[in-house]
Amino acid sequence: MKSEKKNLIGHLAGWITWKRFLFAVVFIFFITGILFPFYWMVSSSFKTREEIGGREPVYIPGGFRLDAYRELFDPNYPSYQDFGQNVSNTLKVSIPTAIIAVILAILGSYAIARLRFKGKNVLLNGILLVYLFPGVLLIIPLFAMLAQVGDRVGFNVQDNLGVLVFTYLSQTLPVALYMLTNYFRTIPDEIEQAALIDGCSRMEVIWRVTLPLSIPALVSVSIYTFMIAWNEFLYALIFLNDHNMFTMPIKINTIFNDPTPRPNVVMAASTIMTIPIIILFLALEKYLAEGLTAGGVKG
Amino acid sequence: MSTAAKKKATGFQKKEARLAWALISPTALIVFGLVIFPAIFSIWVSFHDVGLHNLNDVFHAPYVGFDNYVKVINDYAFKFQGLDNLGAAVTSVVYSFSATTLAIIIGLIASLILNRPFRGRGIARAIFLFPYVAPIVSVAFVWRWILDPKPSGVLNNILLSLNLIEEPIAYLANRGLSLLIVILLDAWRYFPFCMLMILARLQAIDGKLYEAAKMDGANAIQQFFTITLPELRYVLGATFLLRLMWTFNKFDDIFLYTGGGFGTKVLPVLTYEFSFRLYDFGRGAATAMILLVVLAIFLTVYVTVVMKNVED
Repeated sequence: MKSEKKNLIGHLAGWITWKRFLFAVVFIFFITGILFPFYWMVSSSFKTREEIGGREPVYIPGGFRLDAYRELFDPNYPSYQDFGQNVSNTLKVSIPTAIIAVILAILGSYAIARLRFKGKNVLLNGILLVYLFPGVLLIIPLFAMLAQVGDRVGFNVQDNLGVLVFTYLSQTLPVALYMLTNYFRTIPDEIEQAALIDGCSRMEVIWRVTLPLSIPALVSVSIYTFMIAWNEFLYALIFLNDHNMFTMPIKINTIFNDPTPRPNVVMAASTIMTIPIIILFLALEKYLAEGLTAGGVKG
Repeated sequence: MSTAAKKKATGFQKKEARLAWALISPTALIVFGLVIFPAIFSIWVSFHDVGLHNLNDVFHAPYVGFDNYVKVINDYAFKFQGLDNLGAAVTSVVYSFSATTLAIIIGLIASLILNRPFRGRGIARAIFLFPYVAPIVSVAFVWRWILDPKPSGVLNNILLSLNLIEEPIAYLANRGLSLLIVILLDAWRYFPFCMLMILARLQAIDGKLYEAAKMDGANAIQQFFTITLPELRYVLGATFLLRLMWTFNKFDDIFLYTGGGFGTKVLPVLTYEFSFRLYDFGRGAATAMILLVVLAIFLTVYVTVVMKNVED
């Protein structure tokens, strides 16, 4: 009976132990440390030029000022950046990369996981080497090779989004292959054997049995390959020169290095680039968190 | 088994193998063409004089032996010249070792927090992953903006108003301090990966071990050192290896934070500068090869010595 009469402080005092207190302090420290930069990015994107360039930092913007976003998207704004073009370039690169990588990886992983053939281990180890190679090591020969091929066949290596998709496959395909192979191995072989005995061909088995059972893995692999292409910086920096062909990361880098610094515009562009990724991640956290430990992101 | 059945079986196996190659050949071609061949080709480039002038005719580039390697090793940006000028080779080692160690320690603490049941743990875990999944470009520029050298920079403003510093600091343009800041930022960004790896292992530890320890009167700290840490040995070793490898190869982070200036130039950034600022691809490839050799030596030592001990 007595305990029910305790007031708030009493409850709190009863609840708090040293362990819980320590836990709460560390937890709050982590959450603040993680979320503050994201808060600062989003809030800075709504600041006016006066707020962003003042003597004191403005912790809470005066209102939802869209100046920075107008510079990015409104053609009538002075120093208009045409960021819509960059968003569309990024999508033109990352969607095909994800689709091609996933389709090729489904076929390849199935062969590795289920079929017996010579040279399988060599192939698998060769693919895993990608996790070891630095991107800067591969870009020099890739650049030289593609310049040669482009010269012969007649395409431009620079400012060619198709070439960029092609080079991104070198980073996404091994990741996709590795993750899907591991997943296919967890599907019991008996189900497929039954379908084979019923007279399905291997391709039918893949289409009717394996893929429907692998939807969570397929979702997570497509999102990872999409994210790798969406975030990629180094290859885009080297292969793209023309402002109209820039993907978002390169454009943001360019705006940042502009002689007149406009952090609010940089933050607005960064916000646009970050929000979709965070939303995807929150929505599909359950699948995606597992993918991270399975090698979904290299780096 | 009759001979006919045997024949049928080998025929089936052959058909399977053919199908396997058909399925994997597009992938194999792309991986070979875009990863394995370029890797071998870059060894070749590192022994030749390749620049913008002969890029269209690479295969006739003059052979220069170890010249590129000698040039890199004698470059003032590469070699160690004392504690105030570490050079890219030593900076790379310092950077990747400290950033990895720090990320693992923070990841361990975070995983211990998330291993306790509490309301909202799922969403907390998702938030803890934000630094790792957010695009590096956005993350880098937010931090540069927070660390702005002007008094109006947030960190400067906070430290000034707490009277912890007397003058605003240029965190990312300061020899020594910049390397430390880049290491801290790296740990901030990559601890979630370590956290996830450790968390998965933590949740697999048998609860009976802790109950037995409690019966014996062990307190939380004793339990941590006698049960948790030994159980985590293997995952800590493996995570350290992966992270170290990736940090050693990392280009984006340092390039975006400091551009490789103020004592933060690591080997990947140096490779980029030789190749795409000076357009000396031979020297760039030589730098990348040195990086790869250092990494390979370390991996071999680590896997044969450290991981063996951990497994025993």
